[in-house]
Amino acid sequence: MFNKVLIANRGEIAVRIIRACRELGMQSVAVFSEADRLALHVRYADEAYLLGPAPSRESYLRGDKIIELALKCSAGAIHPGYGFLAERADFAQACLDAGLAFIGPKPSAIAAMGDKAVARSTVTRAGVPIVPGTEGEGSLRDDELLAVAPQIGFPLLVKASAGGGGKGMREVHSIEEMPALLHAARREAEASFGDGNVYLEKLLEGARHIEIQILADNHGNVIHLGERECSLQRRHQKLLEEAPSPFIGDDEEMRQRMGEVALRAAQAVNYANAGTIEFLVDKDKNFYFLEMNTRLQVEHPVTEMVTGVDIVKEQIRIARGRQMRYTQQDISLKGWAIECRINAEDPYNNFLPSTGRISHILLATGPGVRVDTGVYPGFEISPYYDSLISKLIVWGETRAEAILRMRRSLEEYKIVGVHSNIPFHQTLMDSHRFMGGQYDTRFVEERFSMEAAEEGKVDRSPIAAIIATLAAHQQAQLAAQFIQRGERDTSNWKWLSRWERLHR
Amino acid sequence: MRYVTLIGEREYVIEIVDEKHIIVDGMPYQVDFDAISDQPVFSLLVDGNSYESYVYPSEEGWQVLLHGTLYQAVVEDERERRLRAALGSRVADREEFHLRAPMPGLVVSIPVNEGEQVEKGDVLLILESMKMQNELKSPRPGTVSRVRVKTGDSVELRQTLLSVV
Repeated sequence: MFNKVLIANRGEIAVRIIRACRELGMQSVAVFSEADRLALHVRYADEAYLLGPAPSRESYLRGDKIIELALKCSAGAIHPGYGFLAERADFAQACLDAGLAFIGPKPSAIAAMGDKAVARSTVTRAGVPIVPGTEGEGSLRDDELLAVAPQIGFPLLVKASAGGGGKGMREVHSIEEMPALLHAARREAEASFGDGNVYLEKLLEGARHIEIQILADNHGNVIHLGERECSLQRRHQKLLEEAPSPFIGDDEEMRQRMGEVALRAAQAVNYANAGTIEFLVDKDKNFYFLEMNTRLQVEHPVTEMVTGVDIVKEQIRIARGRQMRYTQQDISLKGWAIECRINAEDPYNNFLPSTGRISHILLATGPGVRVDTGVYPGFEISPYYDSLISKLIVWGETRAEAILRMRRSLEEYKIVGVHSNIPFHQTLMDSHRFMGGQYDTRFVEERFSMEAAEEGKVDRSPIAAIIATLAAHQQAQLAAQFIQRGERDTSNWKWLSRWERLHR
Repeated sequence: MRYVTLIGEREYVIEIVDEKHIIVDGMPYQVDFDAISDQPVFSLLVDGNSYESYVYPSEEGWQVLLHGTLYQAVVEDERERRLRAALGSRVADREEFHLRAPMPGLVVSIPVNEGEQVEKGDVLLILESMKMQNELKSPRPGTVSRVRVKTGDSVELRQTLLSVV
């Protein structure tokens, strides 16, 4: 069985996986692009090999080259992390064909869950509820869509088949307004994606995005590790996750029911290794299968914090053909965990990504705090990859303690050189709706503002005025000194004698 | 040196007596102000209270990030203030605005045309970088002029993309 793992990824997740390898006493192999020669994962790994130029398609997406490197350095397994090649069935198959273990599910499971239509019909057969809609039924004409709409029920959403990011999406509240909205959605989809096909989906009001983490080994054992609440998103990018979900709270019956449904969905594709079933949950606690992520998730640490299970180490153990160390009875949730995704983007300027050299970092530490990161002072944030700098994770005995601890940690955490979204998370922690756990997937985009002063928030304008003035004053003083030095380029003695001669 | 500092609608008259003493709106305070290891993080002690903050110069003045809240400050000394009073308006409003690329990226679309009137907040250009599409907006009303790039162009950091006059 393998004792050396090649990590086909970069950034914080590569570092996270290297740490697991270390703890298991395994050798780790990093791969990197030209932009990442000095990245943390390269520095931490036992071996590191160059893949190619900075753009992903010439480096981290070069599956052929990665496999070739793995064989050359006799790594026995490849861990894909998330993103890049993680959900590519052909890459997983190529690993197996080359005699390498792929630390993830079987290629057939990736393929079955990767195709939305196949996934929906597979889980439906296993008795898993899905959001009512026409996705996966192929391209329907307007008259067909109009005929099927009343069966789905209003309100519903028209969505672009090729789409994402809200483009070509329309909310429909009645059959009368539907033809015009269909036309508009098709036009927008055509303009954005060059494909005017649309499908219908029931609109769940006040919907939450809650997902279940599962683990399965190759000996028929399948368990779930409870849920994660991922409703806080902006443009379909998750920003903050927590475990457990404040919406499920102590409704243990609902948690077990969702867990069992998730296990059924996983078993329907003979799933092995770590995976996540995403559900949409409406305000009446009905839940619907959204999709399955056949890989390690960015937000896996919150589950690790409340269950005590090291998911990455368990993944490696499973890939080595071992039995899981846990049965369902061993799993219970203790306390509360929150994760803030710290991105290099400016929350005061429309979340514009920020590039540049990180000159200084003061990490948040202390009781109950974990930081997963791939950067350090001196590291350059390049425009080639996503803007995730780090994940700040806290654990508390209760949700209230976790929130207070997160507030404290966000205040401690200093990143200088690029803008970060730490102020966004700080504003979020102060929001009454967040504190009350009262938010859905539209909260950040529709009901949240960086400017809106919450009641009782301290106004520190006088202090800010003093700071700005002193900074401006300091700068003016420095500038003045600079000019003076230039004037007296000769020594003071010479200057004095000239002055004396002048006045003789 | 006496400064007038504006935050939002509120004006503060701040006199710097010496390195350790200031007078804010007539009230004296003892202060200790220093940069931490590397600007722009500053530590301020005011009569024993400790504050830490990021301070960035911006086009309009200074941005002070304090306890998760961003304060926009305009700091003027008395001379600048008299000068501005004589000129009548803030210089920034009358100058041309040159939209520069805030990061390297790919021009995805330019929803405005040369000669078009735009309002403050209108999207001038969409730039793709770090796997995200970013809307670059106009900071003030005006007319679009000299569009120097086209859809599909790769642009460098701080490259001028277009102007608003």
